[in-house]
Amino acid sequence: MAGKLAFIDYLVLAAYLIGTVALGLAIGRRIRTGRDYFLAGKSLPWWAVGMSLVATDIGGTDIIGVGGAAYSHGLAVGNFEWIGCVPAMIVGAFVFIPIFWKLGIYTIPEYMEQRFNVGVRTALAVTWLIFMACNLGIMLYASAKMMNVLFGWNEPACVFITAALVGVYTLAGGLAAVVYTDVIQCAVMIGGCLLALFIGIADLGGVDGMLESIRAVEANKGLPEGRMTELILPADADTPFPWTGILFGLALILSPAYWIGNQAIVQRSLGAKSEFAAKASYIWGALLKNLIPVIVAIPGLIALAKFPELGDGDKAFPTLVAELFPAGLRGLFLAAFIAALMSSVDSYLNASATIVTNDFYKRFFRPEADDASLLTIGRIVTAALLAWAIGFAFVIARIEGMGIYAIFQTLMAFFQGPALALILTGLLWKRANGKGAFVGFIGGVCFSVLLYALSQEGVYTSLGLQPLFKVPDPFLFYSIWAFVVALALIAVVSLSNPPESDEKLKHVVWHFRKGGKS
Amino acid sequence: MTPLHHIGEFFRNVTVAIPLGVVRAIFLALLVGLLIWVLRLPDAETTPADGSGKATENLKLWAGLALAAQILIYSLV
Repeated sequence: MAGKLAFIDYLVLAAYLIGTVALGLAIGRRIRTGRDYFLAGKSLPWWAVGMSLVATDIGGTDIIGVGGAAYSHGLAVGNFEWIGCVPAMIVGAFVFIPIFWKLGIYTIPEYMEQRFNVGVRTALAVTWLIFMACNLGIMLYASAKMMNVLFGWNEPACVFITAALVGVYTLAGGLAAVVYTDVIQCAVMIGGCLLALFIGIADLGGVDGMLESIRAVEANKGLPEGRMTELILPADADTPFPWTGILFGLALILSPAYWIGNQAIVQRSLGAKSEFAAKASYIWGALLKNLIPVIVAIPGLIALAKFPELGDGDKAFPTLVAELFPAGLRGLFLAAFIAALMSSVDSYLNASATIVTNDFYKRFFRPEADDASLLTIGRIVTAALLAWAIGFAFVIARIEGMGIYAIFQTLMAFFQGPALALILTGLLWKRANGKGAFVGFIGGVCFSVLLYALSQEGVYTSLGLQPLFKVPDPFLFYSIWAFVVALALIAVVSLSNPPESDEKLKHVVWHFRKGGKS
Repeated sequence: MTPLHHIGEFFRNVTVAIPLGVVRAIFLALLVGLLIWVLRLPDAETTPADGSGKATENLKLWAGLALAAQILIYSLV
């Protein structure tokens, strides 16, 4: 695609970037306190939060990656945006988010201290911080690498420019800037991908023409007819997305853990202007989510129909755009890609800064810190995290041969299951106590690491064992078993120790929400 | 073979034996069950405290729409 970009494409991209940064800076002028910075002063409307949820969830590499996965594995990747998002968002909207919003908390670890104890809060905060801080570097690096391959841009320059653009408005405007710029980014992203969908389908002679071409590709590759357009794949299919992993790992574990426990996601709903707005934002996000696989995964299938010999799935979306889009519209796709990247980086940056400031600085070092000083600290931490992310991006670039990128992608599956067990038992089971929660969380994480180790070829061959999982990239299955083990440990240890007092649980457990008694 | 291998093999054999038609029914049952739960929620939990009482202000409608789209997708694809 590098040679296909015209001056007008760069003009479209420049207009988008200038507009986004200007909006973020304008919002930054209104920020006065830490509450403004971390929770947007609890003033955000539902429509903005909903679009921000979707934009944050879809990163730049996701647009290319989901299209690429659809190209390689078929429409089953759409499960990640459909059953892997919508049900969890709706349950989150009516059960979990209202309780978090009413408590006035800044972070999910903060809820854990109110419900359990400071040990659980700190364990979860450390885990999330390590993951998010590393993920910031990974996102910068992976996107820069992708921009280098797709557009021929210099990798280090991409890292610095992306970090600078995102850093300027996130540093200035905090959560409000992140959410309102996400609105633009969401609109640009959906617009750019919709164009790819319409132009691609028209080029293939409509939906029937597209399906006919895909059937021909399936026949050529010796795949069962319909395999590339099926959502539900057999449990023993040679794919990372068999139905067992999708239902038990994704829909029931990873998705709820992400939508109700990921600080970068939940934080924007905590900044909603009312409890109703917080709920409505998740419902609006769920409605939008129904559209995402159509505009991101189906272009991958269009590319499969049109260019079946590409080899690398990640080339699918860019090749489609390079071959079918006229000048100017290619710039819009480029803006959509950069928008998706920026909307994820800004959210993780702001969420990491919120955890450092509230769960470490304020909790352990200056509990008496006033709201104005927390704003200053928040901005310093944001700048420090940005510097860290840039540095870590260059470290990854040097050691990528060790597979560190893949390791960090799997890391999320390690602790999402145990984190979900904490939230579910915390909110829904009043008998769960701090000791049980702490042991369950740590035990669950350790168990998923054990499963990961036993799935590595070097480990299982040296032990004379068979691989533990038979599907490629079995990260969905780590989360299932880590969740089950964490839940079992929480139950056993909690029942072996005294319960928490009703007074402590009054506002933090679903049972007491309507004045229920023990 | 470790105990983990035996447990994994057992679950794998059980799930492989389930026909895909039944699997699709399980996916749909999950979504339909959720839709019923949403529609049965008290209005106080799905409408704004200071709302005008219009049906479009009730989140049941929009959550129901999102789930209906899911049911349609998993029925057809």
